[in-house]
Amino acid sequence: MTEIGRSRPVLEARSKVDGTADYVINHVRHRMLHAAIVRSTEPHAELAGIDADAARASPGVHSVLTGQDVAQVIKDPYYGPAFHDQPILALEKVRYVGEPVALVLADERHIAVAAAALVDVSYRGLKPVFDEVAASAEDAPLVHESLRPGAAFADLRHLAGVRGTNVALHTRLRHGDPDAAWDGGGQVFEHEYHTQQVAHVPLESHCAIAEFVGPDRLEVESGTQSPSFTRLELARLLGWRENQVRVIVPYLGGGFGAKLYMKLEALAAAAALIAGRPVRVAITMDEQFFTISRHATTTRIRSRVDDTGKFLARAVEVYWNGGAYADIGPRVTQKSGFIAAGPYRIDAVAVDSRAVYTNRTPAGAMRGFGVPQMVFAHESHADEIAAATGMDPIELRRRNLLADGDLHATGTRLESAATMEVLELLATKMRWAEEIDRGSGTVRRGRGVAIGLKAVVTPTTSAATVSLAGDGSVTVRQGTVDMGQGSSTVMAVIAGQALGVPPEQIAVLPPDTDATPYDMGTLGSRSTFHMGNAVLAAALDVKRQLMAFAAEVTGCSPADVSCSGGRVAGLTFEEIMSATHGARAGTLVGYGSYTPRTVAPDPKTGQSPAITPFWMVGGSGAEISVDVETGRITVDRIVCVADAGVALNPDAARRQVSGGVVMQLGMTLSEEMRYEDGQLTNPGLGLYKVPTALDVPPDIDVCLIQHPHPAGPYGAKGIGETGTFAVSPAVANALADATGVRIRSLPLSAEKVLRGLHVSKGRRLE
Amino acid sequence: MTSSWTRITFTLNCRAVEAQIRNDETLLELLRREFGLYGARESCGQGVCGTCTVEVGGMPVSSCLYWAVQLDRAEVTTIESLSRDGALDPIQQAFVDAGAFQCGFCTPGMIMMCRGLLRDNADPSDDEIRRWLTGSICRCGAYPEIICAVHAAAAAVKSDAGR
Amino acid sequence: MSVSPSVVFPASEPDVISELSCEEDETVRLLAGGTALALLARYGFLQPTRLVSLRNLREKLGQISSPQTGALRIGAMVTLTELARSPLVWAAADALAAAAGLVANVRVRNVACLGGHLAHADPHMDLPPVLLALDARVEISGPDGVRWSSIDDLVSGYYQTTLGQQELITAVEVPVAAGRRAVYFRYASAAADDWPSVTVAAAIKARDGRVAEPRITVGAVTTSPLRLRAAEALLDGVALDDASRLEAACREAADAAGETVRPVGDVHGSAAYKREMLRVHAMRALASLFARPGSEDIR
Repeated sequence: MTEIGRSRPVLEARSKVDGTADYVINHVRHRMLHAAIVRSTEPHAELAGIDADAARASPGVHSVLTGQDVAQVIKDPYYGPAFHDQPILALEKVRYVGEPVALVLADERHIAVAAAALVDVSYRGLKPVFDEVAASAEDAPLVHESLRPGAAFADLRHLAGVRGTNVALHTRLRHGDPDAAWDGGGQVFEHEYHTQQVAHVPLESHCAIAEFVGPDRLEVESGTQSPSFTRLELARLLGWRENQVRVIVPYLGGGFGAKLYMKLEALAAAAALIAGRPVRVAITMDEQFFTISRHATTTRIRSRVDDTGKFLARAVEVYWNGGAYADIGPRVTQKSGFIAAGPYRIDAVAVDSRAVYTNRTPAGAMRGFGVPQMVFAHESHADEIAAATGMDPIELRRRNLLADGDLHATGTRLESAATMEVLELLATKMRWAEEIDRGSGTVRRGRGVAIGLKAVVTPTTSAATVSLAGDGSVTVRQGTVDMGQGSSTVMAVIAGQALGVPPEQIAVLPPDTDATPYDMGTLGSRSTFHMGNAVLAAALDVKRQLMAFAAEVTGCSPADVSCSGGRVAGLTFEEIMSATHGARAGTLVGYGSYTPRTVAPDPKTGQSPAITPFWMVGGSGAEISVDVETGRITVDRIVCVADAGVALNPDAARRQVSGGVVMQLGMTLSEEMRYEDGQLTNPGLGLYKVPTALDVPPDIDVCLIQHPHPAGPYGAKGIGETGTFAVSPAVANALADATGVRIRSLPLSAEKVLRGLHVSKGRRLE
Repeated sequence: MTSSWTRITFTLNCRAVEAQIRNDETLLELLRREFGLYGARESCGQGVCGTCTVEVGGMPVSSCLYWAVQLDRAEVTTIESLSRDGALDPIQQAFVDAGAFQCGFCTPGMIMMCRGLLRDNADPSDDEIRRWLTGSICRCGAYPEIICAVHAAAAAVKSDAGR
Repeated sequence: MSVSPSVVFPASEPDVISELSCEEDETVRLLAGGTALALLARYGFLQPTRLVSLRNLREKLGQISSPQTGALRIGAMVTLTELARSPLVWAAADALAAAAGLVANVRVRNVACLGGHLAHADPHMDLPPVLLALDARVEISGPDGVRWSSIDDLVSGYYQTTLGQQELITAVEVPVAAGRRAVYFRYASAAADDWPSVTVAAAIKARDGRVAEPRITVGAVTTSPLRLRAAEALLDGVALDDASRLEAACREAADAAGETVRPVGDVHGSAAYKREMLRVHAMRALASLFARPGSEDIR
């Protein structure tokens, strides 16, 4: 009986329903100090002075730290996964409203918060810039004096010291001969699309606790999605070895990319180093909005189309609003630049994708990693072309869609990507061949579809160990962070399948860099594939060792040793361990590490014969109702068809897809970080509206298409982001279908819709 | 009285308890700080997300907005009291069976809300469930599964009552 | 807050009133349900030095009494949940009960009470426009005795009321009128659980087969709830059985509503959008009023 493909409750289900699940906000360390962050009130300014006397004098306040204090103990206190551009506490200037300027430490949190309000910071204002296109202009105010790429990425090294620009990275993709491709027959269509800055809103706001245990050991407990990176970055900042830093991660109350790379950990560590006591830095939900976000974008997309609807050429220009610090923005810019032209066969493609600094909250990784923004553009554009040429939207896509084996615009052949099947199943599920009643009164109805493609990020490495105790019980040590996606359960399923052990009997330990091996990070839908392969390799390593022991014990040759149902040569694991060690004793450890083989893209053209270890495909359809007197959109039905490889835990995979759909509905209809002169006017959930049960249809129709991926563990591949790809354009396309109104910016607010309706009737909203 | 502190006595999960509180302390802070009950959590800090939901006097409240100083002789019930002798209560079991959570952060609050609903309405419709869950946010998006879980729990409670 | 406030638990109204007196360097506030107070304190808008808890007056001020004097009397400490479920309120003023069930979410309604709701004076709140449309009067106790106020006299601006430092709302009385119909419409543009862009309440009585004492009120568009008397006048006296005349009058009243109000734009909609939403929802409220009574929540 196989464990693969059997839906099961996640291993930690009980603790999540009885309230005992462990989150870092529950953790307490002896003599721990609590922190409150003093934040910049200016979007762009020189730091003139910080007066913390009143705060320091408050009863219960331990100390107030500034960037200067940090620079005393950390030589070069700048961090970031791509650029080392972000100071632990602001130095010399501030670059966005909310940037941490000082840290108050106190015995209790409420004391620190009250004292933080007493810290008086003075600024000398500088001219700010907020828009991504304006910031890329030559005369724009400069957010950073020069670029500071970090050591981690070789392809960014050439940017070191570059001055005079807010464009942190400009990546190019050139496929075919895009310069020559605009002459000839057919029509040229050009559109500009905008997406807004969006907040992750993990319900558990971020928290990190740092303690120096002895003179040369640092322990950090954090809700980080990337414990190995956090360790190596802290070691780098301290000038220490990695083996002197320990990062421990319990469950996360949501991540979605908000807790990746360095967020609060360096600040907690610096404070703990100075204070000589453990320090807990926890932010509120409102403060999450001043920490990290999803990039707003401006995308200009131009296509030449022949009179049969075939796409002949496409040029895409994308500006990514990276905010004040780069975070992983350059990677978002590059990786999403690769797929910006869409999942289509186009002979000539040019993409110019720019990561731009502005004076807003920094943007980084958020579920989808830039793909939802790109798919909104290319799928809205596709429907606009369909409408202009009188073609059916599904037929237009069918005519142009890449199929398995076709050459993608990156120069890589599509492999194990069920694009055609996703499209056809989407059309079936949407009953596309049937006419619908669009209504004629106050409520109009419409439907729309969209399809998106993502290339999983690469190159990355995951490593794992699987070990047997003396009684034969199995433990998996791996660094993938389970934040609700069911990763620990999946790893147990993989190890269980390989060893013939029920997954429910396998212990999957929470990440702890003292015990769990290196993992690049839990992001980008990479974990099932990469860590799954590492765990599989480790389990098979255990199996090999067991077979060798069993052969010794039974006297038969290793080749003849049978292995099934949790027994090896008929012996239980416990019997083999006992026989091998002479007593109930011993530990048997298997190790696996997985780094897929890919080829880095050419820096000038973005071309590579093997740009990704696997592709992800997601198609969405939406049926909506629009109240034409108010502009309010109601989503009546959402369909999502996901290319799933092999779903190791099908119900959990479906929930990942529908969860992504719900999240993306928020970005489509109601979420937007709003600014006035650089001041964020709606931090927090009172004014920033994420979907609740009444905002989504009660059922979200998810279909998984399963074809084993040749390189995935038991054929599996990633699916965590697939639900986010195509929802926004499906709804925007449905809106156009229902009302004739085309909106090219997100969110599709009721007011925008109403203005569009008025315009179409020759009226204006006054 | 000019003290910033008050000694309160109330019933917590059926036990009489006492605590010395700051007068501006919320019930949520009290439960976590004094009693180590971590099922209720702070998220929005504004009463609009539901992760802090507990019952006071048998009714769900936002404990992040509840002044602990008002608690005198009140009855407070938290998620920790639901399972008995190691067995999950029917709503908890229904959440497990339906997979009605992902990261689990909102889950105790959701379950406490559903408890309130089923006490009020033994057989709610989809629409009644969704309306009741106004102000209960699940960022992981498990709403469809939560609705299923409530229906299953309603059926289980009904059949338990029938025995 | 940097220093926790002191808290007192007076046992009678006169004790409450005397506890509310404060020196210049003090900030003294009433603590009822405390939901809005907790938010204001957390965000630093309020740093009370002393809180006067109404806990011991819960029973005295928490009653809903049946119409004997021709008015429904609702104590200030009645919670919004109690208001939303009260058979007496449903019988005498169903739009009020229905509107109470739409405020915020059930957790807030279980704790927040009517007096605090009115004293908070956030312009987006649900009940002030409904109460205004029902000609409700607010009973206020203070050092000089009891006084009465209309809703629009009580709310003077954005989070501002005409309550004195030592005054507290003790009850709200809603005149009961046989045959009166009322509706409440609430429109939130972005998400189901949100402050509204616009709220409209409407009420009418009938006399000799004609519309009498029409009321049209709005909330969330300006800094306090408004009665739209010009719009009301267009409905007054119209024959109830003349369907086409009635519909035309509703349309004119709705248009007048849109024209006479100067909405203030906010995160829930620009001024122009709110004006149009006001017109649309005034029309819908009036159409619903003449079709059937009740309350509708546009989610």
